[in-house]
Amino acid sequence: MVKAIKYTEEDLIALLRSGDESAFSYLYDNYSGALFNIILKIINNHELGEEILQEAFVKIWNNFSTYDSSKGRLFTWMVNITRNLAIDTLRSKSFKKESKTQSSENAVSNVSNSVNESNRFDSLGLRKQVGFLKEDQKQIIDLAYFEGYTHNEISKKLGIPMGTVKTRMRSAISELKKILQL
Amino acid sequence: MNKEDIISSGLLELYAMGISSPEETREVEQYLQQFPELKQELNEIEISLEKYAQANAVEPSASVKEKLFKQVFPGSPEGEGKAARVIPIQSNNRTSSFPYYKLIAAASVLLLIISAVLNFNFYQKYHKADAQLQIAQQKMEQQQKSNQAMTQDLDVVTNKYAQPVLLKGTPNAPDAVAKIFWMKNTGEVYINPTNLPNAPAGKQYQLWGIVDGKPVDGGMITTEKGTFHIQKMKSFGKAEAFAITLEKAGGSPTPTMDQMVVIAKM
Repeated sequence: MVKAIKYTEEDLIALLRSGDESAFSYLYDNYSGALFNIILKIINNHELGEEILQEAFVKIWNNFSTYDSSKGRLFTWMVNITRNLAIDTLRSKSFKKESKTQSSENAVSNVSNSVNESNRFDSLGLRKQVGFLKEDQKQIIDLAYFEGYTHNEISKKLGIPMGTVKTRMRSAISELKKILQL
Repeated sequence: MNKEDIISSGLLELYAMGISSPEETREVEQYLQQFPELKQELNEIEISLEKYAQANAVEPSASVKEKLFKQVFPGSPEGEGKAARVIPIQSNNRTSSFPYYKLIAAASVLLLIISAVLNFNFYQKYHKADAQLQIAQQKMEQQQKSNQAMTQDLDVVTNKYAQPVLLKGTPNAPDAVAKIFWMKNTGEVYINPTNLPNAPAGKQYQLWGIVDGKPVDGGMITTEKGTFHIQKMKSFGKAEAFAITLEKAGGSPTPTMDQMVVIAKM
């Protein structure tokens, strides 16, 4: 059941500050999919990914008072929390042990059959739009934004100078803006 | 750094992606306070990234939300899933001296007043919104019409068979100009009357084609304000000349030669 409510960012933040449960539910419905993708990009394990997602939302809820809208949008803040949790898990010893025994085949099949239908964003339309990005532009955004690679790490991984990373990133995002007609 | 330097440095992008170093983060946060206009730029970057993330969304299993809500809202009925605590209804103390019905009546009246005020308020808001909607719709219709007319204009002008004919002003109207587009394949005639002076009240411009030395009616031209678009006239298979005269509204069977405003000989 998809409710037709759509909050503005300010309203949503105000409601969340007041501890509104339905606003939190809305937040989850609208952003869990986008955040889950980021977790899966870092940890290729569906089950563990869902645990991290749950943990991330608990953290978002418990630490909501620390969110400062003058420093950026809510989603940006949520991405940072989620990505840090996923990266911490990846670096933890217990994960390294576990991942050796984990069948990666299983994880992949799990991901591919969860097509999102309830997402209230026009995900299909957006997918088509961002499909216009060039492969190297997509790659650089994915590495930085989804996987949290630093500037320096990207330069090493792709074998291109730091300056090129910056300019390519900037042009990729302005291309994205153009595609999305922002 | 000034505003433009900051924008072109790519710092905002790093910041929005959350991969700026601690020093860079502090730097950006300071710039944001210094130049409030940067917030807009950052916001656009963030929104585009957000949409990109949404485009790649993968839906988790429904059980995650259930577990999450149980953890975060353990008290709420849908959270714990256990039966709600039953609170026994207190038996009414009939000897109570306080007249509850009066309280209820007073509360009802108060609610009614509040409701009436809200109704009135909402009704006004509704009216305002409705009026604004209508204005917006009218504007949109106008835009669509003008867009359509413009597209038609363009179709005529860019038609590969269109032969443009410039009708120049006569001594009656030295500044007047009109342009005809004569389709060589179909004989259709279109006119662009943009540079004709407005016809005086009760008068109208009429197009004539001179065929075998005789004037043949080519149709009436509208020059009212806001309708200056290319108009389709009667078709001519051949013509030696085209001319436009000022006639009484509705047109004349033969042209009033001393009222000729523009002419072109082929």
